[in-house]
Amino acid sequence: MNTYHYDNQTVKSFIISSIFWGVVGIVVGLWISIQMWAPSWNVAPFFTFGRLRVVHTNSLAFGLGVGAIFGISYYILMRLTKRPLLFPRLARFHLYLFNAAIALAALSLFAGMNQSLEYAELEWPLDIGVVILWVIFAVNVFGTLVKRKEEQMYISLWYIIATVVAVAVLYIVNNLSVPAGLFKSYSMFAGVNSANVQWWYGHNAVGFVFTTPILAMFYYFLPKSTGLPIYSHRLSIVAFWSLVFAYLWTGAHHLVYTPLPDWIQTLAIVFTIFLIAPSWGSVINGFYTVAPEWEQMRTNYLTKFFILGITFYGLQTVQGPTQGLRVVSQLIHYTDWVPGHVHMGTLGWVTMTVTASMYYIIPKIYDTEIYSVKVANTHFYLVLVGQLIFSITMWITGIQQGALWKAVNPDGTLQYSFMEGLIKNYPFWQMRTAGGVIFTIGMLYFIYNIFMTIRKGSALEASTAKGV
Amino acid sequence: MADELDNIEEFEAKDTSNKLPVGWLILFWGLIAWGIIYFAAYTPAISGWSQAKAFEESTEKQTR
Repeated sequence: MNTYHYDNQTVKSFIISSIFWGVVGIVVGLWISIQMWAPSWNVAPFFTFGRLRVVHTNSLAFGLGVGAIFGISYYILMRLTKRPLLFPRLARFHLYLFNAAIALAALSLFAGMNQSLEYAELEWPLDIGVVILWVIFAVNVFGTLVKRKEEQMYISLWYIIATVVAVAVLYIVNNLSVPAGLFKSYSMFAGVNSANVQWWYGHNAVGFVFTTPILAMFYYFLPKSTGLPIYSHRLSIVAFWSLVFAYLWTGAHHLVYTPLPDWIQTLAIVFTIFLIAPSWGSVINGFYTVAPEWEQMRTNYLTKFFILGITFYGLQTVQGPTQGLRVVSQLIHYTDWVPGHVHMGTLGWVTMTVTASMYYIIPKIYDTEIYSVKVANTHFYLVLVGQLIFSITMWITGIQQGALWKAVNPDGTLQYSFMEGLIKNYPFWQMRTAGGVIFTIGMLYFIYNIFMTIRKGSALEASTAKGV
Repeated sequence: MADELDNIEEFEAKDTSNKLPVGWLILFWGLIAWGIIYFAAYTPAISGWSQAKAFEESTEKQTR
């Protein structure tokens, strides 16, 4: 009993840490969205777009995202293996090291230290720290799994295993470099090889940070919060294996129309389009699971979060593969369409699912109820509207940008200068900031709700302790 | 705490646990078939198509 209590505290602290880094990332995100249309918001050298942008992506992907993944994976792991974590103190150390690493990462990025590899910006000493972090996570995950007290492994555990294995391989390979001093290094790869390895990494960071661990949460918390069993176990397993098989081949779709050999691009496009099938396997499994009780979309606030989350996952996994096709890529690649796409995934699918999972876990840890369902509903509608404004404005201006870039006069010269295309983005960039503000207010409602629940739970805990 | 342990049975629907929806299977195999055709059509060593050739053709069309 005590061990569960200790582990639950670790889970809770991971959740609070991830919320903290989430706040940092979202504030910086708003800031850089303003910089796009108001350049005076750049304060050299530390607060320029070039430095803040990587603080934004790192603190949200690795602070909010990975922090939540660590904590929530531990939570799921204990319950599905029917035992506490094998190394509880190691998990606690993991928590401290995680926060130290993210803090140092943010500082180093502000200072301008950067490997210039997207999502792998951190210099080599921090890379070593990240690898140690990941090894600790892996030891606890696999140790607890080996010593599990439930023989059958539910689908969420498979998704967690895939996350642990794939991220380890991806991170190490893309960060191979020759150090040149403490804060500088040179990548082992150059030219087209570097691009290919980078996007193999970059795309699968999306796959194994924003997809597989989030699906682990979805498959676990959807049945838990609705009381409905997953429609088809077989479908979840077939979708899992085909997803993890196909994902690792798809990175080169980021390099369509580059010097990368044509056949590698084509192969990546083929696997990318195929990914629609395993992704939609999880989508329809989610829909069919809730189908017997659709009224829960009105009566159970968590059902709404998970179903909208998986819906955005479904949209994301059709839009994403389509973007890989040459005919689509040539119009929208390098335009503002791309952040529109990314944020449907991160704000619509990932954050929706992660916050709903936290809504489930925090009251459960204290054996109480959520502070306010009404606040949770307000949170839901604000983040939904904010995210839609963000994505839709960027899709519109992205298509416009692509069309302007491609427009040529009869003699082959460009019809529009780069500047003309840029200026047309301004109203959309301003609307995006408005969407971001709405999303941020929604997240503030979420944070308020979580902290009030913790307060309520702590008071409850104190009073029962006194009673005993 | 009552929620500490999970029974795996609770997660699995009794009657539909082994189902693979037909529509999904069509999607799954359909995309594999499409992939084979697309790979053959856009791989220089198989169809002769290449990015460079496609570019030249498009600029020729443009300047004509």
